[in-house]
Order: sequence, then C-alpha cells, then structure tokens
Amino acid sequence: MKLKFWGVRGSIPSPGSDTVKYGGNTLCLELRFHNSERLIIIDAGSGMRALGDNMISQNPQNGQMKAEIFLTHTHLDHILGLPFFAPIYNSRTNLKIYGPVTCEEAPLKEVIGGQFSYRYFPVRENELEATIEYVDLKEGSYDLGDGIQLTAKYLNHPLLSLGYRIEYCGKIICTAYDTEPFYNVFSTDSADPSYDELLASEGDSAAREENQRMEEFFNGADLLIHDGQYTMAEYECGKKGWGHSPIEYIVDAARRASVKRLAICHHDPLRSDLQIDELSEMYCSREFSGNMETFFAREGMQVEIS
Amino acid sequence: MSTTVIKVLETCNDPRASANDLQRIISLDPILTARVLKLINSAYYSLGVPITSLARAIVMLGVNTVKNLALSFAILENLKSNGSFSVFSSEEFWTHSLCVGVIAKSLAAVKGNTPQGLEAFFVAGLLHDLGKIPLNRQLPEEYHRAWETAGKNQDTLRHSEIKFLGIDHCTVGCLIAKKWRLGTTLVETLSHHHNPDDSSEVDRDFVFIVSLANQFANHLSIGSAGDCVIDNQLIEYLNGKIGVEWTILHELGETVLNEIEKAKIFLEIAQKG
Repeated sequence: MKLKFWGVRGSIPSPGSDTVKYGGNTLCLELRFHNSERLIIIDAGSGMRALGDNMISQNPQNGQMKAEIFLTHTHLDHILGLPFFAPIYNSRTNLKIYGPVTCEEAPLKEVIGGQFSYRYFPVRENELEATIEYVDLKEGSYDLGDGIQLTAKYLNHPLLSLGYRIEYCGKIICTAYDTEPFYNVFSTDSADPSYDELLASEGDSAAREENQRMEEFFNGADLLIHDGQYTMAEYECGKKGWGHSPIEYIVDAARRASVKRLAICHHDPLRSDLQIDELSEMYCSREFSGNMETFFAREGMQVEIS
Repeated sequence: MSTTVIKVLETCNDPRASANDLQRIISLDPILTARVLKLINSAYYSLGVPITSLARAIVMLGVNTVKNLALSFAILENLKSNGSFSVFSSEEFWTHSLCVGVIAKSLAAVKGNTPQGLEAFFVAGLLHDLGKIPLNRQLPEEYHRAWETAGKNQDTLRHSEIKFLGIDHCTVGCLIAKKWRLGTTLVETLSHHHNPDDSSEVDRDFVFIVSLANQFANHLSIGSAGDCVIDNQLIEYLNGKIGVEWTILHELGETVLNEIEKAKIFLEIAQKG
C-alpha cells in the first residue's frame, strides 16, 4: 500500500509562513494498492483540492475516475474540500462516499450534500456531474473486495467519529483521528455533592475497557495515523473533552499495541513548523518511542507499506 | 411541560451541567434511557456485547452527544405527548417504572451481584413495561377498553391486552428491544417479566429478580402501570427461587420510597427554579 498525506492540519486550514514545512491544509489521505486500481481517500479536508487536481492531471484522456471516500466524521475541517475536488464536476467520475451517521440520524447524503446549497456554495448538489453514492457507515468489518478488508471503529470525539483499519496483503494501516483517550466523565471526588460511588466506579471501568478496545483496534498496525493535536501539558490545561489526543499518551498506547510506525497528525492550527520540529526531536527519539518509528505527518509526504 | 422534560431541557442547555447531572436526569426517564441505549447499541452492536448501562453509554458516546440526543428527544416527546397516556398517568407510569428499577437493583445487591452489575438491573426494571407505551399511544381507545375490562374482571392487564389488541406489552417490548438491539438480557426481561420461567436459562436469574421487583412494586401500590392484580402467589414462588424473605422485601420498601422522594425533589427543583 502507498499512502500520501494531502493535508495534515487540524481544525481549520492554516496557511502562512509558519506552516510551510508541515503544511496548512486540513486532513486528506490518498491510499493506493499494488496490483489494484482502487483508490481510497480518507477525509475531504482542504488538502483534497490538490489531490483532485492531481487526479485530473494524471488523466489526460479523460478516462473514468473512481474513488471511495471514507469520512472519519462530518466536522467542517474534514469535509470542506469536497466542493473544490475537481473530479466531482466530471461526468466520468464515480464516487462512493462512506461516513458515520450523526446522532440526529440524518443520512450522510443530507449532511454532506447540504454543503452544495446556494447559502454555502454556488453549485447545487443536483448540478454535480459525478455519480455519487452515499453509504452510512457504522462500527463493523467490511469486505471491500480485491482483498481489501476494512474495520470501522467509533472513536472518542464530541461528534461520532470513525477510525479505520485497512488490511491488504497482510499489511495494516490504521487511522485514529479525531479522538482523545476515553476518561471517566463522572465525578470521583467524594466531597462533590453529586458524587455517586457506583457511577464513579462504572465510569472508571468503562473508560479503561474502551481504551483497551482502542489499542486492540490498532494492534500490530504497520502504520498508525493518530491524532496528536496537543502535548500532555496543553491537554490537561483546558483541552480535555475537546476530542483530541496528547502526544505522550498516543506514543505509549501505540507502543503497547506493537505499532511499527506512528504518524502523528491533526496538528494544532497554532503549531508552527519550528514547534513541530522541536516536538519531533523530543517524541520521535528512540528514548521516547523505542523501536517504533514515530514522525509528525507532513503535507505531501508519501509512505510505502510493503 | 412535564417536570422531567423541563429538567432535561434545563440540564442539557446548561454548559456547566456535569455528567453526573446528566446521568441522573436520564436515568429517571424510562423512555429517554431506552433511546440512549438504542443509539449506543445500534452503533456498537456489530462488535460484541450490548451495552445496558447508561453510565457506560455516556462514557462511550460523550456527554455532548447524549445531551443533544436528550434535548431533541425531550422536545419531540413534548410535542407528541398531548393527551397521550390515556390509561395511566405518565406520572404514575414513571413512578412504577422507577420503583421496579430501584427494587430490582436493591434485590440484586442483596443477592451479592457486583456493584458494577447493579445498573443493568436498574435499567431493566426501568424499561420492563416499555411495550405499553406504543400500545397506549397508538391504540388509545382499545387500550382503555382492555384496561377497563381487566379491572372489572380482576384479570391481568396482559391477558386483557391479548383479548382486545391481539398482542401484549411483553411481545411489543420484546420487538422494540430486538429492533433497538438492547441485548438478550433486556429482550428476555421485557418478554418474560410476567412468565419468568419461560426466559432463557442464562438470563433466568436476572429475569426472576426483575419479575419479583415488578410484582412487589404492585404489592406496595407505588405508582401504576395499569395492572390491578397483585399476584402474591407469584411473589411467594419468586421469593423461593431467588432466596429472599418477605421481611427483606418490606425493608426494601422504605429504600424505594426514599429513592422516589429524592427523584421527585430533584425534578421539582427545576420547576421551582
């Protein structure tokens, strides 16, 4: 498998002189397979524009273009690239868009297609040339054909968000963003008037078991692409509950799960290239990551899994 | 608006409301509890054991998702609820459901179940009569006749439901629990709380406890879900099966009244505030 990062930033596109090296576009991943023409795109952040342009330039004869797009969730930074994805305006394009349904139970077609209305964008959905099929996705395992197996797992984010585990020819790529470690949301302070001993204990075991399930989900991955928006100090200083992970925790979790390579992504929009370089020096070291190869994902970076 | 709806709206609209507040307010409402469990189990079903604990559902779904769900649901329910509960008042139904939940949880504790497992008993008690809600709402006239006739003939409401509607609340509850993927234990409880011997062997002890809790709630006349027959024989039988004495049941009676009183005070704070 070959993976290319077209966008690695979190929350909002962050162009500027401070983000030239790691890139300012929000998440979009391109996944290609040896011995197969299949194209899987994970997320439709602003990085998707350049991916679309590249697909057009690689297709001078205007042949058929096919892609399966797996959205991790429908927060704006993960879907805002779709209207600027050039193949969507080509009648020879076939897209299958998968994603989790929201808690309001609105179908994906409505949530994503809703962007194509005059109040947000000058092109309406029924004016799009491409053939688009929407598939509401839930947690589970799916056979995508051609030997590609996909497992979807719910993560811990303010909106239902899916992580994907893709297995092909014995190799495994996992995504786990946007997410943060599960934690006990109930009061554990016995002096708190709302404290309930049973609830506190139930919350503790639920969080512990869910974190265990998460590690089982990415266990043995050849490449794990994980949310690492914050350092532990930042996370504990008001960012808990925002749905993004502290780097220290994910390095430990990935090591426990025998992950071979860890790509940290969803960089904070305020994080400069210089700061990411400093974080790399600290967390990607052998001292911190052991035998696991850890790196901060960079826009345009390609990783070969074979 | 009912006090529960007001409190749900207040709690969910308050950004400072804690997860404890949220759990408390939802756990007092059988319909809302069922909705949250439906959401989590529809989403999580494919990967294993169904979730029957509200606390676990809140940890997994997150406080915001549950708040949004509760908010939209509370508003929706309020719109739908005009003149709904034709046979029993929603207050009486709520009190009965809560009472069965509290007794089931207390009995399970007496019988040495682990603290982590107790909430499943509470939830099952709270939801055991879920099947009555759509019957009562969709077929109000027929349901009223079934209830009235059961009262006149001193028959169980369940028998009368079958006579007048061709289906009883246990079957309807079973269908809902299956459709919402609430897991086999809740399916068994909702299906067999009136005939616990017919439940599957693996869940039978669990169903015995909820069944006894239901009968004892009727015996205590705390709340009502429409049944006027108090089946002391079944209570005796279940006491023997579970291994509890009448004295223990009567001791629980006080706990139940305290719990319901606390819940009412909790809800009234919202109305007064």
